[in-house]
Amino acid sequence: MQRLYGAWDEMIRKKLSDKNSLLSLGDRFRIYILFGVIFLFMSLFAPRFFNTYNLTTILRTVSMNVTIALGFTIVMICGEMDLSIGRTATFAAVIALTLQKHLGYGLSIPIAVLAGALVGLFNGVLVAKVKINSFIVTIGTMTILQGATYTITGGNSVSLSGDTVFAISDFLAKPILPMLPPRVILTILFVIMFHLFVSNSQWGRNFYMVGGNRTTAWLAGINTDRVTITAFVLSSTMAAVGGILFAMESSAATLNMGDNSLMYVVSATIIGGTAMSGGKGGILKSVIAVLSLEMLYTGTILFGFGNEVKIFISGLILALVVLYEAYASYKHEKTIGQRAELLDELAQMAARPKV
Amino acid sequence: MNVAQKVDTRALRTNRFSKVLSTVGIYAIAALFLLLGILLQSMGLINNFMTSQNLLNIVDAVSLLGIVAVGMAFITYSGHYADLSAPTTIALTGIVSVELLRYGFISAMVGAFVVGLLIGVINGVVIGKFKANPIIWTLAMSYVTMGIIRFIWVNKQIYPDIITDDVRAVMLFDNIYRFRLFNVLSLPLIFMLLLVVAGQFILKRTPFGAQLKITGSAKRTAKFSGINVELMVTLAFVISAFTTTVAGLAITSLSRVGAYYNGAGYDFRAVTAIVIGGMTLAGGRGSIIGVLGGTLVIGLMNNIMTLLGVGTFSQDIIRGAIFIMVVGINAKTLRSMGRDDT
Amino acid sequence: MGISIKKGKSVSIDSIGLALKMVGVGKRYPATIAVDNVDFEVYAGEVHALVGENGAGKTTLMKMLAGSFNDYTGAIFINDKMVRLSSPSIAKSYGIGMIYQELSLAQPISIAENLLVGRLPRKGLFIDREKMVREAKRLLKTVGLDLDPLLPIEDISQHEAQLVEIAKVLGTNPCILVMDEPTSALSREEVDRLFAIIAKLRNRGMAIVYISHHLPEVFQVADRVTVMRDAKKVATKNIDEVTREEIVHMMVGKSIKELYKREERQMGKLRLEVKGLSRYGFFHNIDIRLHEGEILGICGLSGAGRSELAQVICGVEQADEGSVVLDGEPLDGLSMAKRVVRGLGYLTEDRKLEGLALRLAMDDNILSSVIPQLKQGVVYNKKTGWPKAEKLIKELSIYPSDLDRTAGNLSGGNQQKLLLAKWMAINPKVLILDEPSRGVDVGAKMTIHETIERLAREGSSILIISSDLPELVRLADRVIIMRKGHFTKIMEQDECSEESLLLAANTEMIV
Repeated sequence: MQRLYGAWDEMIRKKLSDKNSLLSLGDRFRIYILFGVIFLFMSLFAPRFFNTYNLTTILRTVSMNVTIALGFTIVMICGEMDLSIGRTATFAAVIALTLQKHLGYGLSIPIAVLAGALVGLFNGVLVAKVKINSFIVTIGTMTILQGATYTITGGNSVSLSGDTVFAISDFLAKPILPMLPPRVILTILFVIMFHLFVSNSQWGRNFYMVGGNRTTAWLAGINTDRVTITAFVLSSTMAAVGGILFAMESSAATLNMGDNSLMYVVSATIIGGTAMSGGKGGILKSVIAVLSLEMLYTGTILFGFGNEVKIFISGLILALVVLYEAYASYKHEKTIGQRAELLDELAQMAARPKV
Repeated sequence: MNVAQKVDTRALRTNRFSKVLSTVGIYAIAALFLLLGILLQSMGLINNFMTSQNLLNIVDAVSLLGIVAVGMAFITYSGHYADLSAPTTIALTGIVSVELLRYGFISAMVGAFVVGLLIGVINGVVIGKFKANPIIWTLAMSYVTMGIIRFIWVNKQIYPDIITDDVRAVMLFDNIYRFRLFNVLSLPLIFMLLLVVAGQFILKRTPFGAQLKITGSAKRTAKFSGINVELMVTLAFVISAFTTTVAGLAITSLSRVGAYYNGAGYDFRAVTAIVIGGMTLAGGRGSIIGVLGGTLVIGLMNNIMTLLGVGTFSQDIIRGAIFIMVVGINAKTLRSMGRDDT
Repeated sequence: MGISIKKGKSVSIDSIGLALKMVGVGKRYPATIAVDNVDFEVYAGEVHALVGENGAGKTTLMKMLAGSFNDYTGAIFINDKMVRLSSPSIAKSYGIGMIYQELSLAQPISIAENLLVGRLPRKGLFIDREKMVREAKRLLKTVGLDLDPLLPIEDISQHEAQLVEIAKVLGTNPCILVMDEPTSALSREEVDRLFAIIAKLRNRGMAIVYISHHLPEVFQVADRVTVMRDAKKVATKNIDEVTREEIVHMMVGKSIKELYKREERQMGKLRLEVKGLSRYGFFHNIDIRLHEGEILGICGLSGAGRSELAQVICGVEQADEGSVVLDGEPLDGLSMAKRVVRGLGYLTEDRKLEGLALRLAMDDNILSSVIPQLKQGVVYNKKTGWPKAEKLIKELSIYPSDLDRTAGNLSGGNQQKLLLAKWMAINPKVLILDEPSRGVDVGAKMTIHETIERLAREGSSILIISSDLPELVRLADRVIIMRKGHFTKIMEQDECSEESLLLAANTEMIV
């Protein structure tokens, strides 16, 4: 059985020796390229896409998921998974609005954020200390939160009315800078904060190291349990914040408002280059990915396709991304441990004229 | 030179006796719940627990859940946790079957199974051959499936009797859920019992089951033992899809409508039943009889909670908490006995 | 004292002193003694090689130094101060730096962050990126690398990663540096570069322990050499006062094993023929002719590609070129399952993760490769396999002998015997054994060897991959030396002795 020394091996060799090859650069910046492509395409071809109103709407719509993605990305970087983010967002939003009637936003918001943080603490401790798989834990938490949310609201959505409430909601929604309403500005601030934190602080780099090789991190003196728990707390807290802000702007919280976020944020984070295996990726990449997805979805609607198409496409994208990742690591597995000298030998033999 | 081991002797033997004991234990818990129900009724805290109607309800609920759980158990046994695409598979096969009812009952059945098995094969190949993460992939699959449902049927709910004038076909479909042998045994129940027997047989008395056990317990070793791991995993997902399709037909028949929301929640409840029934998420351990026991426990628990007036969603909280607790306890005790199950 | 003039470079007399002194140290495990009352010392500014065969105790000795055990006996002195090295962080605090064969780097993380893990330079609240890159570049330069420090480890080659590992440890400024087989992944030029670095470090007063199998390298780089055998120290000599043959002789010693009588075995017809087998990047152009009743040894240093070869022959991986023919029938394209059915078995190198299912019982394990055969009528019944399992357990003296005992609770030797039983259960025509007695006590080893011989006598063909030279000498009819993916030499039984094998494995490739 023969397999000629062919294109695949050549690519491996190249990758092994040429670090600046177009292939590896393209791989690293793929999300920015994707963003550019989608933006260009939509601006040129989608009706009513490239205008202030639409772009502002995109920014507003995207704010919740961007906020959630900030914390979720950190959990993924640590090599774990948090499936409870959507339900946490809803849960916190519901608490914030329900308590507003009795305590006002001044108290209800901090309480709601705290609730979110506690969810994260719960998740983190179970994963780090009891050492249960994070998928399993967060599926359980997801279910508990759904029940809790419904119990608080009695099965109805929460909606508020009143002058203060509406005033706040208006404030959040109207642009004070071109295309930038306060809620979006706040989100941008969060993005900047998290980006700096994750990319440039010791704590931030610890997340990467724990996700990259837990043992190495531990041997170097990093408290891996604390890092993991912190990641989960951040994830749930930001999910809570995202949900709360969204609900404040609409003065209402429906019971399934966060359900789509899970798929959205997971897809975006993976597309953005944060692998499930951990140690890779970044805040900015996830944010750009969320934006790209939203542009894609909005464009779909503007082209005249209905909401169903949007749901289908979003599911399809996630499936494709997961498939791609799985296939890539499947291929990678096959070539681990190859010796470069042997491949060189083959190349030399292949280059020699046949006798 | 032989060595005295300082090892917890509890873990030394995977005794047949202890396995039987733990299975019996689950049924004992189920019996306890039954007793609890009787007790609560006698204390006047709940009504109508011991009525034939209520008991029938319990049995029916257990049948539906049991069908899904028994199939999914194969996936858990193989070490791949669960199939989160079960709810949407239920919805899709259900709605397809109703849609195809206009071409007759047989077409509807065939169509449903074709769709269901297709989903199973896709899952099996992506997870078995390309080794995608089972939870993320089946989650993605569920979104794709839901997307397909929404794309084709939008938010429509379709009704068997409206779809077709073929009264016979509609009646047959209706009877999937409603037909009762001796006024007690519904088709789902009969099917579930058959499934339990067949499932237990397959798991314990076929080469497939034995190889699946090794795959679930030590995947790499299975590969190096000449076991076709990829095929094992694919088959496990196909089996699960099969049972899920059956459940889809039954549930759709019960509700008399094909809709995108049929099947919601079945994934989580099935996994909980499996875990309570003694199958660890790490794979390679447990039995179908145990899963049946777990389903019984959940069915009884749900029923009692409902009769006590606990809201559906509060029940969710309790179920979620129990799930985490069982998994956590499993993880801790097995680890302290030196058998590392994650 | 301890000074040696090495190829024109000399160490100043003033900087000497004993950096490390181990007196009467020992470590025992439940079944074996790994290190037995060893004295070992290294001067500052010395490269001291530690050699010995697999299992001789050198790795354990160094693990002691790394702080891996808190129950070692004896005394350790660092710079004349007695210390108790009971944990890795304590060892690190005394300036001990360990460079292992398995990399301790995080793959997706950048070189710079790996190099400076735990001590990233800061500027206020944030990481000082520029300083990090500068520092990383500086460290890379010390090992002769000129890479972009922001590249992740998974994007650089294995040799470069090995050098990064070295740079990482050097960055912690150890006063005692221990290197365990640092050159297995390196090419010729890189090895030379590494030695230049080592020489520089030595001249600056670092004490370096260099563990290796590879004698030519030892002669190139070391000042003194200590030979260990069977957990004891044999001797310490200055490198220019000893020859390669003498070292080999000390490593091997006058072993009782030479007294084992070799049974005469008849070799039958050709059973397994491998022609031109290649798997790109792992091994190229392998030819094997294996007969009935023959035991063929494959000897080589780690990284040679031996296990990869076994994996292709048994069908777990596919070959890129070449063919495998068993009893006249080609096996190409057949899965491992089908090859097992035809009587081809592979006892894997890693018994815990690839050989056994540790969470399952002994009977599950022994019967794991013959599951399709255990039929009772139409139904699968494990019990039909019990007689065979019990027989094998008895033959191999596996203790404890209960079929339902969890495999993970057996001792190492018994686990290995269990693994052997598993492959005997398929009634193998061809059995490939990969390190069949590694990490196993003397008694189990004897049982395993006797069993292998018996299998051969009864007609099975055996391929033994091993780095345990006495094992190969005792069992093999012929030994093939494998090096960096190629077969380099075939040695007949009468040419084989531990010394000759060791020399051959250490010789440069004869193309």
